[in-house]
Amino acid sequence: MPGSSRAKCVRLVIRQACAILAIALVPAAVSGGVQLKWRHEEPLAADEIRPAVARALGAEALFVDARTGQRYAQGHIAGALLLNNESWDDLVPKFLDAWDPDKKVVVYCDGGGCDAAEEIAGRMRRELQLHDVYVLKGGWPAWQSR
Amino acid sequence: MAIPLNRLCAAILRIAVAAVFIYAGAVKIWNFKAGDWATQQFAGDLQNFQLTAYWTPIIVVAIYLPWVELAAGCALLLRRCELGALALLGVLAILFLGAMGSAWARGLDISCGCFGKENNATNFPLHISEDAALFVGIALLLWMRLPRGKSPDILTRSQS
Repeated sequence: MPGSSRAKCVRLVIRQACAILAIALVPAAVSGGVQLKWRHEEPLAADEIRPAVARALGAEALFVDARTGQRYAQGHIAGALLLNNESWDDLVPKFLDAWDPDKKVVVYCDGGGCDAAEEIAGRMRRELQLHDVYVLKGGWPAWQSR
Repeated sequence: MAIPLNRLCAAILRIAVAAVFIYAGAVKIWNFKAGDWATQQFAGDLQNFQLTAYWTPIIVVAIYLPWVELAAGCALLLRRCELGALALLGVLAILFLGAMGSAWARGLDISCGCFGKENNATNFPLHISEDAALFVGIALLLWMRLPRGKSPDILTRSQS
């Protein structure tokens, strides 16, 4: 393709792409405006707890990180214990040492679609007969960003 | 009148790529099962990628990106601004590949939100393969549509 045609073609592509972005901006702005009455807080399941509430518990909460050891090492809630399905048998004794019947256990994972926190909370209820066990809504990302 | 095989293949590929992006955009905008906006769910999925700790850019992307997917998909389907649509979709496919690869490399256990709400954690190899296939399809279409040689008919047609 000659140089001038190539330049024309690039300009055409950019112009068309900008037109599409501009067209998309209109309904996006409208839908964003409609949703400004945003229900910022999703309803909680019975065993879930919001980050703000968990934060307010302070020393009354025992945080349990249900992610992998590698993710735990990269960053976790201060004072949180590691307890995951992969190393359940090895990590449970340490958790039981730290557990206090007066404390609420708050389990978290990577939030959203991760199931690890739910699974660990379930095992705690079934196998360890614990009742005051909650799953942190939104998990680690929500704890960091709010 | 017989349609040349390469034109038929190009048309099928174009419709398939457009359909994927129209569907992906639509389910990120509206949760058809719940009959409600899907933006908040998508914003949550985006947040799980942990690319930024700030909520505002996540919300902006969660609102705007699905409409870009939808608009570019429709443009490709209707063959309006076709080259621009292909370029945009190519960029989006690369961004999706990057985000997915980065989440996989960091060992995140998340739902990607690629096609609306997913109950299970993302199967990264599968989603990366899908995105790569999509990118190859877009690149192929772009290659077929780009004018070559002395008669860049698409340029003259677009400007007329």
